[in-house]
Amino acid sequence: MAVSQVYQSDTRTMAKVKALLERVDITLDEHLDYTCAVFDEEGEPIATGSAFGPTLRCFAVDPAHQGEGLLNEVITHLMEDRLTKGYFHLFVYTKPGSAKFFKDLGFCEIAEVPGFLVFLENRRNGFAGFLKQLAAKKQPGQAAAIVMNANPFTLGHRYLIETAARENDVVHLFMLSENAGPIPAKVRHRLVREGVADLPNVICHETGEYLISSATFPGYFLKSEEKILRTQARLDTALFVQIAKTLDVTARYVGHEPHSLVTALYNDVLSEALPAQGIQCRIIPRKHLPDGRVISASAVRQAVHDGRLEEAADMLPETTLNFFRSPEAAPIIAAIRREKDVVHY
Amino acid sequence: MEICKPAVAGTLESSDLMVTVEPGTAGIELSLTSSVMNQYGRQIKKTVLETLDRLEVKDAKVTVVDKGALDCTIKARVECAVLRSCDKSDKNIDWGGVIR
Repeated sequence: MAVSQVYQSDTRTMAKVKALLERVDITLDEHLDYTCAVFDEEGEPIATGSAFGPTLRCFAVDPAHQGEGLLNEVITHLMEDRLTKGYFHLFVYTKPGSAKFFKDLGFCEIAEVPGFLVFLENRRNGFAGFLKQLAAKKQPGQAAAIVMNANPFTLGHRYLIETAARENDVVHLFMLSENAGPIPAKVRHRLVREGVADLPNVICHETGEYLISSATFPGYFLKSEEKILRTQARLDTALFVQIAKTLDVTARYVGHEPHSLVTALYNDVLSEALPAQGIQCRIIPRKHLPDGRVISASAVRQAVHDGRLEEAADMLPETTLNFFRSPEAAPIIAAIRREKDVVHY
Repeated sequence: MEICKPAVAGTLESSDLMVTVEPGTAGIELSLTSSVMNQYGRQIKKTVLETLDRLEVKDAKVTVVDKGALDCTIKARVECAVLRSCDKSDKNIDWGGVIR
């Protein structure tokens, strides 16, 4: 039986795929860029799978057709598709009960949230190798860690980093590697590096595909339910703990989050789970401007969106501000202005 | 042959295998998963390594997910993945030379 692509525009077939997923208690993810299915003689889908970037998602095999190796066909098809699109390092999220099927197909477990979710990749030493590379950057002394998207880098980020740098010998700064907005990761990283260049005890790292990029935490970029978010936050925490142990990190600094539901939830999970692993979770209050406005990257994006960059100038370090004033930023500013919603919820 | 870019050959269906080759620097780094690991793991490993040796591949990360493939299949899939990785799979294949 052949596997074929199901186009999002083919609403009739998509509805059948959705029904098939629902029969095995899975909701179709809203954010998919490829879906495929196997059909029976009557043209009804009996197995399906989808992908979004480097992640494979939403698998189901009709209970009447289980044991026929259909999942293998679906996965083969999806892997071929992903490879042609340049994704070689693939990830799967699945229920613990289904993890064994993926392990038989060459996927290896990275982390588990018991009872909820297993996170796998198609490399045997992927995460272990990532940790090994990190270990080479270990520094003596009391170490803290910060994870940030810095979209873009503001004085608020700077304040959080300065606080950590003052209270610790070393600060490991993880910048999310995902390209998930109008500001490309390369630019975000450059602005962070330039913005902390004068702080000698801050070491910048890229998170690769492991820390809250869409690989580990789709809910951060996609609006989904609290339970999913919590599960994903717990998974992320499990990954962070491994990283922290590799670098002998004893504290994680996070910014207090009054406005973003996702980040607030995330902080909540962190402050619950990290102390249990011997890692302090320090939630630092937001920095305010003299006029009472809270510094935030989403406020900056909103200002850029509305064409009022100069109004947000006092939220930005010189390095970020210079970049946005430079001609190089023009296409990025144009991309931000095209966005409908620049403040994530 | 030099592995220039990642390439894949084969499927995950029964009696087949999926071979992924990627550029490497530290010799042949083979990662093997097989549904018949206990019975034939060593034989599969030997076939893969021999094929790579014949193709004069010195450095590569090779991932094999085997679903009970026969030796001839293993050989063909490894050859195909290597040729694809250096864009030599569409023409002038060295039939009877290193490919035999």
